[in-house]
Amino acid sequence: MKRILAVVVTVVALGALAFSAEKIKAGFIYVGPIGDYGWTHAHDLARRIVDEKYDWLETVYVESVPEGEVETYIDQLVRQGCNVIFTTSFGFMDGTLAAAQRYPNVIFAHASGFKRNPNMATYMADFYQVYYLNGLMAGALTKTGKIGYVGAFPIPEVKRHLNAFTIGVREVNPNAEVHVRWIYEWFNPAAAKEATEALIAEGCDVFAFTEDSPTVVQVAAEKGLPSFGHYSPMYDFAPDYVVSGQIVHWEKIYEDFLLKVHNGVYTTKNLAHVDYWWLLSQGAVEVGAKPGMVINPKYEAALKNFVLNHPVFGRISVYDLVFTRLNQMADPGITFDPFQGPIYDRKGRLVVPEGMWMSYDSLITLEWAVVGVVGPWPGEP
Amino acid sequence: MGWANWLISTVSRALAFGVPLLWGTLGEIYAERSGVVNLGVEGMMILGAFMAFAITQQTGHPGLGLVCAALIGGLAALLHAFVTITLRANQYVSGLALSMFGLGLAGLLGRGWEGKPLGKPLPTLAIPGLSQIPVLGPMLFQDQTILTYLGIVFAVILWALLFHTRWGIAIRSVGENPATADSLGINVTRVRYLCVVFGGLLAGVGGGYLSVAYRPSWTEGMSAGMGWIVIALTIFASWDPVQAIWGAFFFGVLYHLSYRLQAFLAPELLKLMPYLFAIVVLAVSGFGRARWRQRAPGALGLPYVRGER
Repeated sequence: MKRILAVVVTVVALGALAFSAEKIKAGFIYVGPIGDYGWTHAHDLARRIVDEKYDWLETVYVESVPEGEVETYIDQLVRQGCNVIFTTSFGFMDGTLAAAQRYPNVIFAHASGFKRNPNMATYMADFYQVYYLNGLMAGALTKTGKIGYVGAFPIPEVKRHLNAFTIGVREVNPNAEVHVRWIYEWFNPAAAKEATEALIAEGCDVFAFTEDSPTVVQVAAEKGLPSFGHYSPMYDFAPDYVVSGQIVHWEKIYEDFLLKVHNGVYTTKNLAHVDYWWLLSQGAVEVGAKPGMVINPKYEAALKNFVLNHPVFGRISVYDLVFTRLNQMADPGITFDPFQGPIYDRKGRLVVPEGMWMSYDSLITLEWAVVGVVGPWPGEP
Repeated sequence: MGWANWLISTVSRALAFGVPLLWGTLGEIYAERSGVVNLGVEGMMILGAFMAFAITQQTGHPGLGLVCAALIGGLAALLHAFVTITLRANQYVSGLALSMFGLGLAGLLGRGWEGKPLGKPLPTLAIPGLSQIPVLGPMLFQDQTILTYLGIVFAVILWALLFHTRWGIAIRSVGENPATADSLGINVTRVRYLCVVFGGLLAGVGGGYLSVAYRPSWTEGMSAGMGWIVIALTIFASWDPVQAIWGAFFFGVLYHLSYRLQAFLAPELLKLMPYLFAIVVLAVSGFGRARWRQRAPGALGLPYVRGER
């Protein structure tokens, strides 16, 4: 009996060894150029981090892939011998699914989508908690009571960020407004610049945004106005004016996913329910002007001096409030969520009932605008 | 002061946004006046943008950056000139290729330069005295770089040169009827080379403005289609440098308003406005066909071969 067991163990161990000795070749498909200093840049940075960390991992990438042509590029990567393929744009979703069905022996993972297959997982690092924290700071820093926000497209992801940001602003400054402008492009520096200028002309004096370039930060800084960076650390663009921002760590997700593939936890058969929705508590996103700098020291005093009467914490400075909320959300046993009822949309409807949090499904399909958002809102229910 | 705020921001933003369009259009007008279409403006602009940024970042002199931007734009145009004038290849194909080549090369060279801030961008000038005039001051004489004023002065000079000097006659006749110009002793090849390269120099400056003044940083693809707007503006301006000023300015106004008016009108519609306008203009100039035909250089797009008709 013991001998049989020993044989079985040896075989299993050898098998596991053989599998783990197998190299992983991971292919990455990007929608933009890796030099955009935004979305694609962040994915590529993460790819290089995991690539350098593990000997058994080899990575390749293709950039600026049109959304309709993703299948062609997947074919190419499979021919090159990739056994794991990441596609990193929402618009790649259907093409990736079709390819996953054609190549049952390749593992796929698609960022920001919702369609899965036994060999296709989904993943996303979302910023809404971070936007909320930035909103707290913005609410304390505005003097005109008008905060500018440049959005790429009026889609649920951006609306979720805008709403979370506005909820933060109003928690600190109940009369402040968040003025929004849409540029209908993920990457168009000239459009972002003119949208920011339009907001400045309307009296906005603090800025946040969701689009793929550092334009908003630069334009605000030229006028001496504070702003919040997005996606990549933008502190260096305006050290005196970047208060904080949202920073992504895709490498956390890529590392976890690839390790699990390497260890045989993930196979081509069991991914139909694998969906990464990673937030502050998993370390996939970070609040800060640059890594490790939650709040630019230049703004510490202003935030410490802004003291409010908080319904939960009583008298508290915004500075302390930011860290209290950050700890509540970064702790694995999360005790706070920005979308905590009661929340009314700006048409007066109760969208999140008292004491409730929003479900994942309602977060990723969110269309309404919270009270305090001013400006066009295409698709408003 | 509501209306003054609107007027000031609209005019000053339109001027700032119009600068790269104006420089690019002036260059393209000269190239096309000599009979050579150069669809490579987008490529020349992005190369200029990268070059200006890289040089300024290294030396701290935005002026030097802009000169280098002009040079690389001119160099790229020289390539187009060689292919289309000497080798007589199809101008449209060569121009498109130049655009793609420029975008690709700039992206490749620019690896590692993205995300770097520019310590010394091209400064904005507050013109002493003039900038203090109420409304007019902030509208025209603050928040602009030297390239705004230089562009306008240049446009007038280039207009005078084109329509009121012998050089201008030579350029226009080469573009209208190269065979006749040739028989009059004008060196068609030389005139065309000079005009195309000159166009490249100006497009390079326009691109440089983007990376050292308008949005002082480098990002891949930052010209974002401006080169194509230049091609449309060249037609809109009826190949006239002074009209190019209005064209670039007007496009700038529409562009700014498309964000300013979002609070009142559907953003999707506003986003279309500048482009809708371009189509309307082309359609209208199509109706006034006789007049428009007259304005377009007669031999535009055609290679010249001596002895052929």
